[in-house]
Amino acid sequence: MNLRESTGIALGALRANKLRSFLTLLGTIIGVASVIAVISFVEGLNRFVSDKLINAGSNVFVVDKYGFITSNEAYEEANKRPDIRMEDADALARGVPHARMVVAQTGSVERVRFRARHLDGISIRGRGPGYDVIDDLTIAQGRHITDFDDQHRQSVCVIGPEIADELLPGMDPIGKIIRVGEQSFQVIGVTTVKGKMLGQSQDRFVIVPVRTFLKYQTSQKSVEISIKSADQASLPIAIQEARNVLRGRRHVAPGKPDNFGITTADTWLEFYRTLTGGIFVVMIGVASIALVVGGIVIMNIMLVSVTERTREIGVRKALGARRRDILTQFLVEATTLSLVGGIIGILLGVGLALLVGALSPLPAGVNVFAIVLGIAMSSLVGVFFGSYPAFRAAKLDPIEALRYE
Amino acid sequence: MLIAIRDLHRVYQVGTEQVHALNGVDLDIEKNEYVAIMGPSGSGKSTLMNLLGCLDTPSQGSYKLKDQEIGTLSDDELARIRNQEIGFVFQTFNLLARADAIHNVELPLVYAGVKHEERRRRAREALELVGLSDRMKHKPNELSGGQRQRVAIARALVNKPSIILADEPTGNLDSATGEEIMIAFENIWKQGNTVILVTHEPDIAQHANRVVRMRDGKVESDAATERRIARAHA
Repeated sequence: MNLRESTGIALGALRANKLRSFLTLLGTIIGVASVIAVISFVEGLNRFVSDKLINAGSNVFVVDKYGFITSNEAYEEANKRPDIRMEDADALARGVPHARMVVAQTGSVERVRFRARHLDGISIRGRGPGYDVIDDLTIAQGRHITDFDDQHRQSVCVIGPEIADELLPGMDPIGKIIRVGEQSFQVIGVTTVKGKMLGQSQDRFVIVPVRTFLKYQTSQKSVEISIKSADQASLPIAIQEARNVLRGRRHVAPGKPDNFGITTADTWLEFYRTLTGGIFVVMIGVASIALVVGGIVIMNIMLVSVTERTREIGVRKALGARRRDILTQFLVEATTLSLVGGIIGILLGVGLALLVGALSPLPAGVNVFAIVLGIAMSSLVGVFFGSYPAFRAAKLDPIEALRYE
Repeated sequence: MLIAIRDLHRVYQVGTEQVHALNGVDLDIEKNEYVAIMGPSGSGKSTLMNLLGCLDTPSQGSYKLKDQEIGTLSDDELARIRNQEIGFVFQTFNLLARADAIHNVELPLVYAGVKHEERRRRAREALELVGLSDRMKHKPNELSGGQRQRVAIARALVNKPSIILADEPTGNLDSATGEEIMIAFENIWKQGNTVILVTHEPDIAQHANRVVRMRDGKVESDAATERRIARAHA
């Protein structure tokens, strides 16, 4: 049919009255933009988190006292469990043949000082040797903590580059004695810059040997143990071996649940997916409301248009337009309207996603599926909310329409 | 016979009252006649015109256009007849304001399903016929009243219909321009078209060959005009 004509009429009407058109399409624009932005954002977040989580901790699982805690009750319950100690780490290192590496860790937050300078709220990590593999850390200067340092409880530390810059500016950090809490540590290494993750610096930490840490620390004795399996296939076997070792050492009766936690990257990923799935559902809901409101506004403007153009409809009918010609014309017009809103919304949503991508470390991905969805949603809104006005136009009586003033 | 009307009735329901707009009309019109339908308001001439134009269907009686009974047709079939057989010319021109002249003339061809190039060609021809080949790209508000009405005439002609049906075509024009339009109709008639003119102005009606006068929903008189007699003698 006269598709081009109808599209032209709709676009012409949009151009003729820009402010009204903008207000008409606002709902659709907001609806589509938010859907696109949310999809792009969540997609980007997903990719980012899977990258970081899976790469950093590939084939790694963590054994600790608590496991994956999602409620206060679970925490209270887990708190009563016996601590996990360095002896457990040693037993795991011996008793898990499929482990390539067993690294104990604990930590606290302390003030770090060098002469008159100090930094507050610095993450102090007690780590066993091998932490560099688990944490994906490389040394820029100096050396890593060795097994010797740990076994002999040496007062040495490896610091992140931000600590080196802020605490020891313009100095060679290697060999400097810094105060961590009440103890003195000699800096033996500085790691390379890793940048920010979700706005958090990854370069602001002090790593000390875990046994040294535990020697000075009295309040908290439970440690976390990261275990890296030989490869992806042996990860479940290593987990089972570790579980058997710990159940034996902690005297868990057969059939009783573990009194310790084992988490893998998948555990976090799953939790994360549930979380973003929730965000997704809520935002889609908000977007749907915007789209329905947008659709009603479009319906209203189309009803006005049908009334304004009653005479035109009469003329078209007199010249031989059938009902379905008129119906199609107004449906095409409504759909063109909402599609224009949809396209503006897509541009806005993509722009928003790219802006977030530029200002934050999130790789906000422009998603083809989201764009297709945006176009589909906006045209659906046009067809759905355009059909009532179009139907009204189509069933007008030609004589009365021609007589309409 | 192009048009054969027998005992035609049209009854409207206005509230609880029944209005007999047409009350038994008989009328025959041959191909290439030039007929004026006259009558005061309320005489039923508008109703008759709507029926002749297939915008409406009779309550009772028979209207045959080219031996096709109109009363039994569906909406879509009526639309097709209007598209193929009727060319409307209105008092208020009724051009689409946003479309230029050639686009307005093309409109019946759009609904006839004619392809774009063919449409352009035929619309151009029709505009040339009414002397507007230099105004094709003008919008209605860039044209004078007489030019607008000629665009409307071109639109009525473009589908080569059986009947040109003009409803007070000079009603919105000054008398000089009106005369111009009537010359245009005369030319159309001379080319072999059937022209039916609805008017209440006797001067305008005198351009036709035959005048049908309506009163109270009936044909009051049906006679040849002086002009026809003059034409016959010429």
